[in-house]
Amino acid sequence: MASPDGKHCRSQTNGEAKPPDSKKQKITELITDDEIMSEFSHHDASVARINNGSFGACPQSVISAQQRWQLRFLRQPDSFYFNDLKPGILESREAIRSLISADDVSEVSIVDNATTAAAIVLQQMTWAFAEGRFEKGDVAVMLHYAYGAVKKSMEAYVTRAGGRVFEVQLPFPVSSNEEIITEFKLALERGKVKGQRIRLAVIDHVTSMPSVVIPVKELVKICREEGVDQVFVDAAHGIGCVDVDVKEIGADFYTSNLHKWFFCPPSAAFLYCRKSAKFSDLHHPVVSHEYGNGLAIESTWIGTRDYSSQLVVPSAVEFVNRFKGGIEGIKKRNHEVVVRMGEMLAESWGTSLGCPPDMCSSMIMVGLPSCLRITCERDTLKLRAHLRECYRVEVPIYYRSPKEGEIDPITGYARISHQVYNKLEDYERFRDAINKLVSDKFTCPSLSA
Amino acid sequence: MNGGDDTRNLGAAHRNGNNHHHSAKRPKISLPISESEIREEFSHHEEGVARINNGSFGSCPASVQSAQKNWQLRFLRQPDDFYHNTLSEGVLHSRTIIKGLINADDVEEISLVDNATTAAAIVLQQVGRGFAESRFNPGDSVVMLHCAFQAVKKSIQAYVTRAGGSVVEVELPFPVTSKEEVIDAFRLGLRRGKQDGKTYRLAIIDHITSMPSVVLPVKDLVSICREEGVERVFVDAAHAIGSVKIDVKEIGAEFYVSNLHKWFFCPPSVAFLYCKKFELSKDMRHPVAFQEHGNDLPVGNAWTGTRDYSSQLVVHSAMEFVERFEGGLEGIMARNQRDVVEMGKMLADSWGTNLGSPPEMCASMVMVGLPSRLLITSGDDALRLRSYLRVNYGVEVPIHYQAQSQREEGDGPRDKDGGRITGYARISHQVYNVADDYYKFRDAINELLKKEFTCRMIFTE
Repeated sequence: MASPDGKHCRSQTNGEAKPPDSKKQKITELITDDEIMSEFSHHDASVARINNGSFGACPQSVISAQQRWQLRFLRQPDSFYFNDLKPGILESREAIRSLISADDVSEVSIVDNATTAAAIVLQQMTWAFAEGRFEKGDVAVMLHYAYGAVKKSMEAYVTRAGGRVFEVQLPFPVSSNEEIITEFKLALERGKVKGQRIRLAVIDHVTSMPSVVIPVKELVKICREEGVDQVFVDAAHGIGCVDVDVKEIGADFYTSNLHKWFFCPPSAAFLYCRKSAKFSDLHHPVVSHEYGNGLAIESTWIGTRDYSSQLVVPSAVEFVNRFKGGIEGIKKRNHEVVVRMGEMLAESWGTSLGCPPDMCSSMIMVGLPSCLRITCERDTLKLRAHLRECYRVEVPIYYRSPKEGEIDPITGYARISHQVYNKLEDYERFRDAINKLVSDKFTCPSLSA
Repeated sequence: MNGGDDTRNLGAAHRNGNNHHHSAKRPKISLPISESEIREEFSHHEEGVARINNGSFGSCPASVQSAQKNWQLRFLRQPDDFYHNTLSEGVLHSRTIIKGLINADDVEEISLVDNATTAAAIVLQQVGRGFAESRFNPGDSVVMLHCAFQAVKKSIQAYVTRAGGSVVEVELPFPVTSKEEVIDAFRLGLRRGKQDGKTYRLAIIDHITSMPSVVLPVKDLVSICREEGVERVFVDAAHAIGSVKIDVKEIGAEFYVSNLHKWFFCPPSVAFLYCKKFELSKDMRHPVAFQEHGNDLPVGNAWTGTRDYSSQLVVHSAMEFVERFEGGLEGIMARNQRDVVEMGKMLADSWGTNLGSPPEMCASMVMVGLPSRLLITSGDDALRLRSYLRVNYGVEVPIHYQAQSQREEGDGPRDKDGGRITGYARISHQVYNVADDYYKFRDAINELLKKEFTCRMIFTE
């Protein structure tokens, strides 16, 4: 699971001539399975940790790099502030720019997390309404499965300012991209029905719960065709989980957390803003000395705080490059394994997956046996806690309301993740736990509140 | 214990028979903390630097850092479990301690935020919404001090001016010789700024100003605000906790914020925002809307997305650290004040200059006039001199350029050479400082004078 080779990889075999950049290859040897275990030895070994999606994971070498930055500040904070901080952040931003294929580093701002990025993008809408550039009733569109905090942000910044928010209903389980595209087109049409402008579309790249990879490139294209002003892709699960080429995707704004799938410590995220005069109105909500110098610069200083998680992006890049194929290789293997594990579980339980393999990333939704009687969201929380406490399995569970007339519906889906530290035993333990609950005739209603 | 371990020149210089070191009453832990233990706690500070600027970025002892690392590790070990079972309890504990320290009525009135800058954004966004939603009239104003922290000024610009509010600036005298001077100037400024039909929606007052640094009679200023019809008062007390005693009920402001990483030994960064109870119902939100949006601010502040909350969780460790000192927090504050004033006087005497405020208007910082011959003629000069001192003398101290006030009678204070004093160094004293730090600064300036150095000679890169 950790790495297919599990060995050092020598780029040349005996007798072959050394390629010109052999110096580079001498330094980067592939990480071994043992080294991977060591990098994540701080994880609670008794837990089958199949929920990388919620809080991510950070290897020891990046934690050490972070502690070195923290110590530098504590040692001489004034000197750190005047001499070290800005160059360090710039280096991180440049590393991100390269990873996401952005044109210019000025398009890349580092913020705490995707939730902060959403607040930044949405705040400009509030001003636009207040200053009369938007009209009351102008529309913003988002997916029904948008992250809870983003929905609340829409309420705070858009609805409250006089805008209308439309949700795109998405089917789940889902079986093809076309289903999503159709629903999206419908929502745009509804939005324009009273002749109002659609000012913003907020599209997840990978929805959180239930987790599905959305065909963002196609949806962005549709937005352009339908005259949507701005498109914001919320890719909290982006980097390290799906392909992120911001120019190809074509959105105006793109945000992704780095602490979920890119091995940074909590918390760090980037917000990409395509270069355009329209966007000079973006501001970080915490206003400090750099106000007015552009979002990227404003974000480099929002008062005294610990910026170390933002400074270790180059260290995270170093870490992923120890794996075969770098981040691309990690992504590919995570996807392949999580699909295999999902299929293994579904087969063992007699259930099904929430979407086809090509619509999932490093996470997949696996149906739970209906006899567990998951009847509401609270049941999912209770079951999750039960699995954590009694079986030492950490996995989030999603409640899906059954449709009328469904017989023995699958109402609960587990969102399993796969990251480089996971092992087959993690999924086997989950498989066996559920099978035991089933054979014990366990039901969610029987769990105390 | 520590009676004989007094290697601090400062201690020897002025103890004068006052015995501040008692033997430990509790046999298990050695209390009070000894000089060598203090050195150990701050041994991560860069050697060779006279670090007399605790005011800017604060400091954090090793034992609190250690506690922080434990919290960080707990999260990394099993983050789901941490989030579901540990986090809110830990944050509540921190808030409860703070409530006790500042004499608030209810823990619901205490929210934890990153820093005072964030708190300012929260309060000012709310004011901005008042304008946007026409609860306030265009031209209604926000009052601030001329010397308000720059980040706060920008925040006012971003959220108030932009939304149609106007800003009234009140200039306070500096140097200052009594709190009455401040009170009179403030009252005058408020009255002058009044306009017919316009309401003062908010006043932002520092408890301890940043640059130049002076402890303001904040309780009196809040009373004046009430007299002059100011609707609400926000006290920016970034430096207060760990410097001065805080009683939020006595002070009477609607909002009060202070950073715990400056003078209360917490790591960067954590601050508390106190909001008088009835304000909570009036739509106070964190600028980053969160899962619990719509609920009270304190709950919301516990979760603003995945991030490192460890600095918020070590408040009780900082409290434990503080209690290892004689007299606890009060003892630390009293000694810092005594020592910083003494060192300030020592410097002023040596250079023939002045102090910016009387001892009773100082806490752990004091402004010391710099010799006129250095020719500090602008903010840029001050910044360059600061860098110069850091690079060439290993002295870390912020410098303030004091332009001549229009209001001043005469032409301001002069030094022993008869030149105008235009620059002030803001020296800090925290438990890790020793007299040598200040001697080093004294000697550096005296050497510059001997070399006939002026700020003009520093070239920017």
